Amino acid sequence: MRVLIRYFAVLRDRRGLGEESLEVEPMTVRTLANQLTVNHQLDLPPSLIRIAVNGEFVDDQRLLADGDTVVLIPPVAGG
Amino acid sequence: MFRLTDQPIRAKLLEQSGAGGFVSFEGKVRNHAGGRDVVRLEYEAYPELAQKEGEALCQEAVGQFGLLVVEVAHRTGLLEVGETAVLIQVAAPHRREAFAACEWIIDQLKHRVPIWKREHYATGDSGWIGSDTTFAAADDGRWDRQVALPEVGREGQDKLRAARVLLIGVGGLGSGSLPYLAGAGIGTIGLVDADDVDLTNLHRQTIYKSEDVGRKKVDRAADFVRKLNPQAVVEAFPEHLTAQIVDRLVGSFDWIVDGTDSLEVKFLLNDACLKLGKPLVTASVHRFEGHLMTVVPGGPCLRCLFPVPPPPHCVGTCAETGILGVVPGIFGALEANEVMKGILGYGKVLSHEMLVLDLRTGETSRFARVRNNDCPICSGGIQTVAVLETDSLGQARDILGEFTLVDVREVDELPEIELAHLRVPMSKFDPGKLPTPAVLVCESGTRSYQLAARMQALGVDSVLSLKGGIGSLSDDRIEARDG
Repeated sequence: MRVLIRYFAVLRDRRGLGEESLEVEPMTVRTLANQLTVNHQLDLPPSLIRIAVNGEFVDDQRLLADGDTVVLIPPVAGG
Repeated sequence: MFRLTDQPIRAKLLEQSGAGGFVSFEGKVRNHAGGRDVVRLEYEAYPELAQKEGEALCQEAVGQFGLLVVEVAHRTGLLEVGETAVLIQVAAPHRREAFAACEWIIDQLKHRVPIWKREHYATGDSGWIGSDTTFAAADDGRWDRQVALPEVGREGQDKLRAARVLLIGVGGLGSGSLPYLAGAGIGTIGLVDADDVDLTNLHRQTIYKSEDVGRKKVDRAADFVRKLNPQAVVEAFPEHLTAQIVDRLVGSFDWIVDGTDSLEVKFLLNDACLKLGKPLVTASVHRFEGHLMTVVPGGPCLRCLFPVPPPPHCVGTCAETGILGVVPGIFGALEANEVMKGILGYGKVLSHEMLVLDLRTGETSRFARVRNNDCPICSGGIQTVAVLETDSLGQARDILGEFTLVDVREVDELPEIELAHLRVPMSKFDPGKLPTPAVLVCESGTRSYQLAARMQALGVDSVLSLKGGIGSLSDDRIEARDG
């Protein structure tokens, strides 16, 4: 299935891009986020990456569906 | 203590045996102003408010300077040249406090107490002069354009005047929100910030001027507010927001606006606001983007999203990552809009959403937020968060048992660690080859934290980062020797 991944703030910096479209296997959003963390050295612990899908923050165990937009949001401090 | 009178004012003879310094100040009508000949002055007060505010500032002066006596009188009505318009008499144990108090009182009085002055000129015309430089009167028409909105009206304007809004941090976000909060006519504004204005602040903290560099932010921001709206009461707190004072501050205001760049303070505010039932508007920015949300009693909170604050070094600060001034300015203005919505009741505050705005592209996203049943604060749940950092090797041993110490600095970084360890530079780090359990160490604790995070994402929880980097190792050696 194909999903769109969007990165915010420090995750965008570390990934080097704001969004990408990926072909993925069926899995939970948390598994996907962890894979991306390792593959792209995003280097924030899982507890600090919140995941929103199609405009809503979701439970980590939500399963991906074809066409999902998955957004990874870290805490932001600046002010 | 404080009195308004339409009769001539005369100094009293003060007696107070415990006082060594008596200072008396008289402000008189002079015969010129702004290059024009003045023949008389006229003072008009908003008596109820002037009396209340006058008494409040006398009380504050007693507390701040340890005064034994304070007598303040202000005239109303028509005064001829040479007549006394205001009299301030104070007595304190020492002269220094007496002089300082006298000057403080006249400055505060001109800023805060709603008394307006009309100058009558030799040419026959006249003009109202505001306190300091601003034209002011209780209903001088300054809010006409917003009162014209059905969502505001006279009733809404009274709500704004009655409101007490606390702004934590008068920096980039605060420079965006404060002008609109003050301009809208918020009656009382609290300002909390321990910092002085720095030259590197000015590009984004545009309420300050170059001449303000080195001066207290809350003082300069208070001055900004009073010049924009002389009727606003400003309560300035030149201190860091700590757990010791947060309840007292938050408890005495209606709306709390987060203008800090510290996640620790944001979490502190979140917890205090939930406990005391106060709405909190919070925003954060990163380079060209930011997010905004409002935490209301009973709604989802900051910890429903992020259960614990991350270590400051892992998400970046303005000083480290850079920031364009307009970004916090926009998010600060959006925070002011949340407060306006909340007080006036129009539209809908972002109580169940997070607004994310990318200012490079203008793309906005709204993400629905719901209460998290595991949230440690608002749902009374127990959130289990795997620890990633350790303060010392001793603490690591308690958590992990025996472990391998791994230096992840690059090969040319010194000094060499004296304890037994493996050297695995971050640039050559291979998660599959790391012996576990392990404690990772680098120069400052940032890179080791990132690698521990990477291991956690792989499902490995037995890797910790040494907080503070190699500097924290020396503590261990001392402990080992002592022990």
